[in-house]
Amino acid sequence: MMYTQKEFPDTHAPHLHDWRSTSKVVWICSLVLLPVVVWSIALYRWAAITVWLSSVASALLTQLVVDGLFKRFTLRDGTALLTGLLVASAMPPAISPFIPAAASAFAILVVKTLFGGLGGNWMNPSLAGIAFAYANWPVAMREYVLPTVLAGVDGLSSSTPLAFAHGLAGSGQARVMDAIRQAGYPLSGMDESLTGFLNDSIFSHLGARLPEGYIDLAVGFKSGALGESALFAVILASIILLALRLVKYEIPLAILGSFAILAGIFGTGLPGEFIMGGDVLYALSGGGLILAAFFMATDPVSSPVDRKIATIYGLAIGVLCFVFRRWGNHTEGIAYAILIMNVLTPTLERRLEPLLGPKPARTSV
Amino acid sequence: MSNVRSFRHGGILLPQRIHFDHGPIENAFLPINAIVVLNSASTGRTSRIAVTEGEEVREGQLIARFDGKGTLNAHSPIPGIVRKIIAGKNADGTAVSTITISLAGSFSVLGKKPERYLWKSLNKTDIMHIVQEKGVARVSSGESLYDILHDMRGTSAPRFVLNALEMDPYCRAEEAILLERSADIVDACAILKKILQTATMTVALGESFPEAEVASLLNLAEKAEVHFEIQRFRRRYPQDMPSLIDRTLSRNSGKAVVSLMLEPSTMAALHDAVVSNKAHIEQYVYIGGGAVKESRILKARIGTPIGDLFEESGGFTGRPEVIVVNDPLRGTMAGNLDVAVEKTTRAILALTHDETHSARELPCVRCGACVRACPEGLKPWALNKYAMAGLVGEAADRGLYRCTSCGACAYACWSRIPLVDRFERMKSQGQS
Repeated sequence: MMYTQKEFPDTHAPHLHDWRSTSKVVWICSLVLLPVVVWSIALYRWAAITVWLSSVASALLTQLVVDGLFKRFTLRDGTALLTGLLVASAMPPAISPFIPAAASAFAILVVKTLFGGLGGNWMNPSLAGIAFAYANWPVAMREYVLPTVLAGVDGLSSSTPLAFAHGLAGSGQARVMDAIRQAGYPLSGMDESLTGFLNDSIFSHLGARLPEGYIDLAVGFKSGALGESALFAVILASIILLALRLVKYEIPLAILGSFAILAGIFGTGLPGEFIMGGDVLYALSGGGLILAAFFMATDPVSSPVDRKIATIYGLAIGVLCFVFRRWGNHTEGIAYAILIMNVLTPTLERRLEPLLGPKPARTSV
Repeated sequence: MSNVRSFRHGGILLPQRIHFDHGPIENAFLPINAIVVLNSASTGRTSRIAVTEGEEVREGQLIARFDGKGTLNAHSPIPGIVRKIIAGKNADGTAVSTITISLAGSFSVLGKKPERYLWKSLNKTDIMHIVQEKGVARVSSGESLYDILHDMRGTSAPRFVLNALEMDPYCRAEEAILLERSADIVDACAILKKILQTATMTVALGESFPEAEVASLLNLAEKAEVHFEIQRFRRRYPQDMPSLIDRTLSRNSGKAVVSLMLEPSTMAALHDAVVSNKAHIEQYVYIGGGAVKESRILKARIGTPIGDLFEESGGFTGRPEVIVVNDPLRGTMAGNLDVAVEKTTRAILALTHDETHSARELPCVRCGACVRACPEGLKPWALNKYAMAGLVGEAADRGLYRCTSCGACAYACWSRIPLVDRFERMKSQGQS
């Protein structure tokens, strides 16, 4: 078998590459979110399907129109799909499909394209889209419904457990979960029996008791945004991202670490908290904190390149998120915390690079 | 085992894919037509042609004479008739001269018992003369070994390192040569000792080199009155680069020494030249890659088309995406299978897409993989920004000229940006 001239395309050394490529990483990120999508559809039925579909379709369509204008088709790199998925994950189910569609279009058109497309965006497009929705439709974005399995009917509106607990601060109950139970927040039978089993078989031996309600938080038997509905699936997806080394682990760990420490010391405005006695578990598992920390804050384009600076970036997000959650009147502070640090990233890099950046290797001769 | 050494920052861990048991190294079939390239791989300068078209040449006969520093003597790899002499230009404008010899006549080297000269009676000048006469090149760079040794005359007690390291997932030729021809290589070390007057010779070995073989190597060295110091190195690319071996070795001592690093394949050529009176007309070539049926090492004549060697290894099992000459991270791409084996050809690889993981170039997403990979502590992603903006001066301020073009950054790049290629272009722009 002989090959003639120009049989092989011109390539440059190196001829080998790491298996990770930009589009592969983006596709894997989208793929690991699939269980979250499926679970949320199981919980909310049509109320979830319309949101996921409208957001993703709008993102893909906007990207297609933009690509058509520039005559350079980029749908294959998967970034538009991921943006659409992440925007939808912050939307409450049963919201008018127009809102996620508008948020995704804003993310792709204004934040991504106008600032230079992939690699040029100055903040995470999906977070910017979410902030856009919060700013324009503040009421609709806070209208949550209970999952069908829990309420027994479709679309029974309810506030999220996080906002609900916030309203109960100072009620005198010793634990958050007890307080919200007292106030009549629904609890699933599954949680009741599973928590009882865990307490009897494991925690009682350790002298501890898991209050009812955490299992519901983890499996989404509560009201909340679509991405929050499958906390267990989000955690699993995050482990995959870390194991494949697709994200800088420093960022989510710094965010969750600084947030947890501050929440533990000062509390996050929940009932039954005192100084050094904040409810860390509740603060971490409520809301979209984990999803945002692993999928949005780690966006390489809008986070620092250097790992040490990325740690500082993560710590700052954790602190800001805590401040917004503790004293702000909007419980989902993480979106704004990340956006603020996205914008500060260039400044952070310019100031800290000389101190923390890579040092030239010592030459011997 | 003595402690395993490595450099401090950066580098990449390449998957160790190829399990490779080599039997005795066999000779490749002689080519029907041998194409001898007369340009030095390091300088590009051409040797003076000493034959005419139609002339009959013997095996090992001088066909081109060195023409000043940076050129080499070239010898006919096969007995035959000079078919064609081309002195022309490549597509990219660089001068290239080749002599094509067609196989004919009788063999004077092949099948004969190798001669054994008693080199110990020769003095330094005689040996240097032989090295020049036989056209021995440093296999890793293509430089004339005579030039290298000539330049080192003035240095007192240079450090000599026998570099058997190969850090990419394929090439295993150097360790195999060291195992197969250990006695000859130790002899060559003794020859070098006479030229360089060095007391200690460092042997750089990978961490997987069999311990039992080390003992026999030391035994041979003792008999030849050479003192070997074994240094083990961790498998981490690009540890095999002379600058990184130097840095790793002098980390503890802190002393700046002038080092000479040669590979077992060069040492084998040196031995053959001095002891067996053979010109540098043979080259050990590793043939491998995912598209090749059977990976092996062959001793091929200079000028053999690489297609012949692939064929001798069972041919291709699938369509290769790219054919690479030498190291897959620094080597060059072969445009077709008529490319001939040169004095610098150590490996030919037929790589499939599953191995190259090639993809379309995308904009930088600032993932930071290049920063972690760079052994020189540079920020390749930032240098790339300057390259794209045409700011060579800015890039130079940020260490462009410290870049050794090892390719670790471009290997790791998520967006498949041809970083090394871009830096090379910027460097040549800055110099002109």
